[in-house]
Amino acid sequence: MNADPIIRLDDVSKAYGAFTVAEHLNLEVRRGEIVALLGQTGAGKSTILNMIMGTQPASSGSVRVIGHDPFAEFDKLRGKLAVSFQTDRLLPWRTAVENAELGLLILGLSKREARSRAATWLKRVRLEGADDKYVHELSGGMKQRVSLARALCVDPELVLLDESFSQLDHVTSQALRRDFAQVVREYHKTCLFVTHRIDDALEMADRVIVLAPGAGIALEETITPENRSDEAWLSRLHDRIADVMGGEEEDAPSA
Amino acid sequence: MAQQSSGLAADTAMTPKSTPTPQTRPFENIVPVAVVVALLIAAMQVGSYFLPPFVMPAPKAIFSATIEILHTEYRHIAITALRLLVATLFAMSFGVLLGIIMGMFPRIRPYLQSLVVIDTGIPALSWMLLAIFWFSQPEVRIFFILSVILVPFYALNVYDGIRALPRDWVDMIESFRPTRQHVLRYLILPHIVPYILTTTKAVIGYAVRMAIFAELVASAVGIGSRMSLAQSMFRIDQVLGWTVILVIANLLLQASINGIEKLLLKWRPEAEVR
Repeated sequence: MNADPIIRLDDVSKAYGAFTVAEHLNLEVRRGEIVALLGQTGAGKSTILNMIMGTQPASSGSVRVIGHDPFAEFDKLRGKLAVSFQTDRLLPWRTAVENAELGLLILGLSKREARSRAATWLKRVRLEGADDKYVHELSGGMKQRVSLARALCVDPELVLLDESFSQLDHVTSQALRRDFAQVVREYHKTCLFVTHRIDDALEMADRVIVLAPGAGIALEETITPENRSDEAWLSRLHDRIADVMGGEEEDAPSA
Repeated sequence: MAQQSSGLAADTAMTPKSTPTPQTRPFENIVPVAVVVALLIAAMQVGSYFLPPFVMPAPKAIFSATIEILHTEYRHIAITALRLLVATLFAMSFGVLLGIIMGMFPRIRPYLQSLVVIDTGIPALSWMLLAIFWFSQPEVRIFFILSVILVPFYALNVYDGIRALPRDWVDMIESFRPTRQHVLRYLILPHIVPYILTTTKAVIGYAVRMAIFAELVASAVGIGSRMSLAQSMFRIDQVLGWTVILVIANLLLQASINGIEKLLLKWRPEAEVR
């Protein structure tokens, strides 16, 4: 694993008027890591994700993503970063494969090459035979698979997930998480995902970061392959995270 | 792998039942239309017994006049149709462009919006009279009149469409760092297609009426001018014949637009409210 931080937040604060969402936050995500960002509602998870995406600037401090300021150097991250959102955000007038190829067309690939790569990625996320289906013909899980294929097929260095599995039922969510983690590890992607579900984080992440409102990072723990197979250890970590989150683990979307 | 397969099975098991493909039901509207037409013909027939022919000719006379018009006046029908087509296509293109500019350029928006709103407040008759003063060529007059009347409908509806664009879609496409052209091509243009079609459906009947009216006051050829001629010669059968042709033309136009809509919006599931 390369130790270069792909995301680096140095002393970052973010305030909306008098309301401070994040204060003096330091955070690093190394290349190849899968990091889960957990926290109570209002802990600032989505705000941090937005700053990393480059849709919002930090009020103070430095945000660097793959060596760039994602807000000031927005275009420099084209093709290097992809996002999968809480809802699938598929365009209803495009078929599954046309949705998946969207990022590639924006990157300037030819229609033929984009189509071929998108179809390959739909297969990788195990969505075969649905290429030509319109969005309304897909189930919730299938839509989210298309959304993940759309993010992954631009071959980004960094994948951001914003509660991507939280609106799916437990069985679908579990299958999708497992498939996604497998693909991310197989293709050596770096992933930061925001979630409310402790189980999601423990199942997928190499490291969990728990945020507390006004306190920044309240808990940070690395999950080694050995730890992942130790149920007692995972159970203790689950309880510690739940304590920090004040028992607020929920399926509802974050603020 | 077995576990993985079960996950996919769970996914696909939730696939929505295929939404019924929009079906053309050819007889669905024909029956009520036929009933209404039959009642109107019967009323005209009864009226013709009691009223003089220059007030209410018999349906047979109207039918003969319609056939006569179709045989001898088709050039005027073609001229009006061409005027309508050219002006509507121009108004659509220019109106969509204005709507897109209003939607994408906030600094220019207030000025364009004011211009469009002022335009909507000017009566069609004023435009017709001004066109007669300003332009000597009948084609230019009619093109101008139809354009200034139709452009605001397209501009305002397309602008409304852009305003209704879900923020989620904008955030999604922006996550790929697109150019403005990409956003226009992949998001805005496909999103506004239903708005353009709805506007066309809403204005086409109005556009036909305005074209006829404009021809009546500003041209010596076309359906409007021929209707004026028929009126001056007390040929009420011809006036009603032209009216029949216009009603049929309007129905055909609406059917054509519905066909185009079904083709372009095939991705849209049909929602039925019980």
